[in-house]
Amino acid sequence: MSYQNYVIAAYCVFAVVMLWDFIAPRLQVRQQLRAARLRATRAGRNTTNEFPLSRE
Amino acid sequence: MIRDLRLLWRRRGDALQPALFALLVVVLFALALGGEAQALAKVAAAVLWLAVLLAGLLALDTLFRGDADDGSLEQWLLAPVPLSWLVLVRTFMHWATTALPLLVATPFLAELLHLPHEQLPVLLASLALGTPLLSLLGAVVAALTVGMRRSGILIALLALPLYVPILVFGAGSVAAAGQGLDPVGALLLLGAGLVLALVLAPLAAAAAIRIALD
Amino acid sequence: MHPVVRWFHQLGSPPYFERFAARWAPIAYIAGLLVMAYGLYGALFVVPADYQQGDSFRILYIHVPSAWMSMAAFALMALYAAIALIWRIKLCEILAMACAPVGAAFTLITLATGSIWGKPMWGTWWDWDPRLTTELILLFLYLGVIGLYNAIDDRRNASRAAGLLAIVGVALLPVIHYSVTWWNSLHQGQTISLFGTSHMDPSMLPPLWAMVIGTHLWFVGSLLARARADNLRRESGKDWVARLAEPRA
Repeated sequence: MSYQNYVIAAYCVFAVVMLWDFIAPRLQVRQQLRAARLRATRAGRNTTNEFPLSRE
Repeated sequence: MIRDLRLLWRRRGDALQPALFALLVVVLFALALGGEAQALAKVAAAVLWLAVLLAGLLALDTLFRGDADDGSLEQWLLAPVPLSWLVLVRTFMHWATTALPLLVATPFLAELLHLPHEQLPVLLASLALGTPLLSLLGAVVAALTVGMRRSGILIALLALPLYVPILVFGAGSVAAAGQGLDPVGALLLLGAGLVLALVLAPLAAAAAIRIALD
Repeated sequence: MHPVVRWFHQLGSPPYFERFAARWAPIAYIAGLLVMAYGLYGALFVVPADYQQGDSFRILYIHVPSAWMSMAAFALMALYAAIALIWRIKLCEILAMACAPVGAAFTLITLATGSIWGKPMWGTWWDWDPRLTTELILLFLYLGVIGLYNAIDDRRNASRAAGLLAIVGVALLPVIHYSVTWWNSLHQGQTISLFGTSHMDPSMLPPLWAMVIGTHLWFVGSLLARARADNLRRESGKDWVARLAEPRA
């Protein structure tokens, strides 16, 4: 009986799950940083919006 | 406790719902299995245990919901009595109203499934020990999810691992009896579990309520 | 103050933890990867085929460490949760919740590899033997913790409720295992043991230990990475996060 396919299948499952385990938190961190950046720029824009009125 | 009794009398229609659900489950199982007496008799005990367990799971939602909705749960935190004691009383009343009717209905349901008559006493004993255990562990799960709007499947997911030993020893005791083995061992384990749960489950549930209301 | 104690206190500060985790997670990941690579290479190419199980026992080099990891992660999660509940340490709440997805992943690997190993061995993809059944219930416990954590809006209450569930789970896990073992013994005819003969030739062990160490290192890396993400999420309104996220000039 060829065990090779089973061994390959098992190792593939391992690789896929580990890959997901590696990628998921990276995506989360990136998402959090992006959200923080958006919040910062939005806050920055809110404070600078008062100025345009002073232009003649 | 008196207030609980009064409330429960007013909601006595609710008390029959678990029993009704168990009946439905039994009917569905019988239909799905083909209704043949021999086949049903073999699985009768397990199906009955499942029917009781599932009915109890459905009823779990009502354990704290009434108190949570009308704000009395917060009052519990301020009561001079320990919170775990209040939880224990509430759980007992809930068990008395939801599980006792089930226990009463069991012989009738057992007949529907052609349960061998020798197995009925063991089944009732296992249910008598098991349903309070289910209620107590269910109380912990209900306390963890109290205040959640649509907890539905989450309650079932949380309760299932905790219910497994109870189901195994409960249904297993009847299976053991059916095989001619002594069911007392399993029943004793259920009993021991019940004693432990009577002390520990209210504590855990109280802690969960405190977390939820903090 | 003793330097180690001071370091623990420092870790509790979210910005410090962010720097710590950002630095050490990749190191742990890489270390784990290297050790696992050595282990897997040994498992696949160096170790001779078992005379009873042929090549399929090579799957065990993934299955066994994953099984141990799945249980260790749960125990660690419960420990962190207990510390978090008793002493109300926010970092421990975060660490406890970070254990859950990693532990669940290892549990999934254990179940899948166990099933794949079982097919040529027992002829069936699944068997309700005590260990696999307990592992399946462990997966449900993990999913329950993750589900509960995600279902509650307030992060602190969520982690404490899910942590309580983890503690209840870890207390009940031996009971669950015992009950399933007992139930299995009732139904005679199931004399299949999970590992067949557990006599492993000494030459077969080094890759196994490598895999055990490797998965632990990887776990640490993943734990730190996920804790970092959760930390950022909880602190999302704060200044230090905004400063961190500023696009580099």
